[in-house]
Order: sequence, then structure tokens, then C-alpha cells
Amino acid sequence: MNPGLPSALNGAASAAIDVAGVSKFFRLPHERRTTLKEYFSHPFRRSGYEVQRALQDVSFRVEPGEFFGIMGPNGGGKSTLLKIISGIYRHDAGTVRVNGRLSPFIELGVGFNPELTGRDNIRINGTLLGLDRRKLRARYDDIVEFCELERFIDQKLKNYSSGMQVRLAYAIAIQVDFDILLLDEVLAVGDESFQQKCFGTFAQFREEGKTVVLVTHSLDLIQQFADRALLLLDGRVQALGVPGDVVARYHAGLASPIAATNLPVVETAS
Amino acid sequence: MVLAEFKLKYAGSVLGYVWSVLKPLSLFTIMYLVFGRLFRLDDISEYYPIALLVGIVLFMFFSDATSQGMVSLVHRESLLRRLRFPRMIIPAAATLTAAMTFVVNLLVVGGFVAWDGIVPQLDWLLIPLLLIELYLFTFGIALILTTAFVFLRDTAQVWELGVQLLFYASPVVYPVSFLPSWARDLVFLFPPTQVMQDVRALVLYEDDSGMTLSSADALGSSGPLLPIATTLVVLTLGVTLFKRYEPWFAERT
Repeated sequence: MNPGLPSALNGAASAAIDVAGVSKFFRLPHERRTTLKEYFSHPFRRSGYEVQRALQDVSFRVEPGEFFGIMGPNGGGKSTLLKIISGIYRHDAGTVRVNGRLSPFIELGVGFNPELTGRDNIRINGTLLGLDRRKLRARYDDIVEFCELERFIDQKLKNYSSGMQVRLAYAIAIQVDFDILLLDEVLAVGDESFQQKCFGTFAQFREEGKTVVLVTHSLDLIQQFADRALLLLDGRVQALGVPGDVVARYHAGLASPIAATNLPVVETAS
Repeated sequence: MVLAEFKLKYAGSVLGYVWSVLKPLSLFTIMYLVFGRLFRLDDISEYYPIALLVGIVLFMFFSDATSQGMVSLVHRESLLRRLRFPRMIIPAAATLTAAMTFVVNLLVVGGFVAWDGIVPQLDWLLIPLLLIELYLFTFGIALILTTAFVFLRDTAQVWELGVQLLFYASPVVYPVSFLPSWARDLVFLFPPTQVMQDVRALVLYEDDSGMTLSSADALGSSGPLLPIATTLVVLTLGVTLFKRYEPWFAERT
């Protein structure tokens, strides 16, 4: 379908993620019944709703072992797309095919509870992410070592700084077994040294042949690590190809948003 | 997850787990004073207090588990939006948390039974089976309610009233023999009533008032078969409904 893709050599059947013509609409009900009187006079009146097009005819493929970046302005449909790939949302049209074990989360620190200790949170979060008791025990030390929070592990999570929480969350997430990792905006917090550590894990994923799909606002990150990138604007694919070109398109779009929406979709290949 | 929820529920309150026991006990005290003493139901049988306590503890499990199960999906909304996992784990965890409180309460009931000098019988081994039936029915109701609650928040108000109604429609505070025979057969179709009556009949075997009428006494030889059928129907309905609407839970909660 997309003949120009860099690793099309694997053939169509073996794409890690194949998204074809996916659309998603949200029905947003209008605020209704603002006063008591209104409530009693029209108890069963239904006011209308607005249909918001979150995604429209989005198609792309991610090859196995690829580091794929998704970027775009807020409200562009990035997170919705990630949720559809991961099966959290149901799409209204098109098909999504995934080959390989998908990480079950798209954000970090799912189910973190501020009232429990770091240790308990590792246990709960790890269980939620699919680590059984045995694996959790075996990997517990790795998690604590990676996030460098030995001293704080028996303190309640609410006493952690936001950076510390992200460190803990990332340390647990990378211990989960997966072939395809979907991540939404993860490294916005966290200091320089921890970010370097995370970049180290990206390199490691690449060596292990794991596929990574990363939604981010950090254009540097995309240019540095991504093999290819996708630009989403108003739920449509605006650009797809090598990171340099897509980032350039993003900048062009920021300079004149109206012009950008009218531009034809570009696809570039390395 | 169940353990964490149980721990959290009482974290920060001074009396902690004790509350889970105090709640049914205080309701028991009120009901005993009003119905046992004031309305003289105490005169029916010397076992009225135990029968009342059994009824309250069983019904309270049904009411707590369904109410907590109902709101569980919406309360765990952030989890639903961030993680792919079988959604049924959430209402299951909520109802199992209520079941843990229930087990603690049963220990207290056991203490009262022992204090009354009632000697355990071999057929008490049926009690766990009855409690499993109660759990399955409760879980089925919770699945229906939590699905409905995602799409229609009025469900909470309706169910609050429904629970009140069921509490007085079931023979919790009064002997089932007080009901006219047509109503008696009807309430036995409600599995919590059948479980309550059969547990009472098993535990208070020495009682010969109408208070410990079992499902076999009321419905004949088929006994608990009809309520068990009700349980299976409700459970199947709950699971089917839940599975049908599962794909939309994340965006609608």
C-alpha cells in the first residue's frame, strides 16, 4: 500500500502495526438541563450532541524493530490514535492489525496510589501491567536500581516529587515483556541524567529488535531516535516519513497553520 | 488489587477494620431495639437476635457489593483510559473487596452462635455453597448495574431506592412466615432471601418458629432450584451485557 516505506522488504503481512483507513468520532453531548425548572418541565428532553472527528482516514504501517515517532499539536489526535492501536478505544471505521505482544499501557504510572509506599506501588503497578508474582519478585531489584530510589522505597508515593514518580513508573514499565511498546509523552519530567538513562533503554530496545511507537512533543527526541515519524493535524495524517522532513513540515505548519492544512500529504522515504 | 482496596478503605480512620464489623452491628442494634423489643418480634423465638444478625450481615453484603460494584468502572476511569486489560476485573475486585468485609462479619456471627451454645452440625458444610451462590448472584447484579451506570448516572439513585425496598421486602427483620403464602413463594425466588433462610434453617436447627423456614419448606422438594436458576440467569445476563458494551467503557466513563 505504501511502496516507499524504508523497510517494506519484509512484505505486507509482517508489519508490526498496520493501520488502514482508521476514523474515530466522539459524540459530545451538549450541556443540558441547567435549571431545576427546566428539568421538571422537560424531564425526558434530549438535547443534541456534536460529533467531533478525532481521527479521519488515518493509514500507516510500522515495521518490526522500528522506532516510530508521532507528533502534532494538542488535540491533533495523537493520544486517540495510540489508544485505538492498544485497543482501549474502539474505532468507527478502518482496520488495525498488530503483530506481536503489545505493551498494555500507553501512559506511565497507571494505578499509582499516592497513599501507598513506593514498594506497594511497584507491586500494584507491576501486576496491572501483567507481571506475575514470580517475575515481579525477580525483577524488583532491577526496578529499584534503575530508578535509584532505594532510600525512598518505603515512603508514601505522595511524598515523592513528580520527577521521582516518573522515574519509578518508567523503571517498572521497561520490565514488562513486550514486542511493541506504545508510549504517550513520557519524558517531559525527569532530570538530564535520568533522560540519558532512558535514551539508553531506547538503544537497548533497538538491539533487541523491539518496536517502539512514541508520541512526543520533543522534536529533538524524534530527530535523534526515530526511524520514521508521523505528523497528525486535526485528525489527519499531514506528513509521514523520515524525521527531518516531518519535523520541517511541522515547523512550516506552525508558521502558517492554514496553509499547512491545505498542503497535500507528503510521504518521504530515506 | 483487592487487598490494596481493602487496606485503603480503612487507612486513615482511627478504628480501621473495626468499622467493617461495627457497621452491621450497629444496624443490628437499631433493628433489634425497634423490631425485636418495640414490636415484640423477640417473643417469637429465643433465636430472633441471631436470625436477625444473620439476615443483616447477608443482606449488607448484597447491598455493599452491588453499590460498590456499580460505581467501580466509573471510579476507575483513569485506569480504563490508560490500560488494556479485561474490564471485568474491576467489578470483580470491587465485589470481592465487599466479600472480604463479609467474611470478617461472618466470624463475628460465628462468635455469637458459639456464645449461644449452638453445636455445629455436619450439614453446615452446605453454608459455603450457599454463600457462593449469593456471591454469583450479587456479581451478576453488579455487572448489570455497573454497565448501566456508565451510560446513565441516574442508576445510582434508582438502586439506592431499590436496595431499601429489597431490604424490607426480604424477611431480614421479620419472620418469612408473616407473609401470605403467595408472597412467601415470591420472595424465595430472590436468591439472597433463599440463601438467608437456608442458612438460618441450618444454623438455628433447634428453632421451631416460622422464622427458619427453608426454601425446601416453602418451595417443596425442588427447594433452592428455582433461586439457583435465577442466579444463573442473572449472572449470564450480567456477563453478556457487560461484554457487549465493554469496547465503549473507556470513552464513556
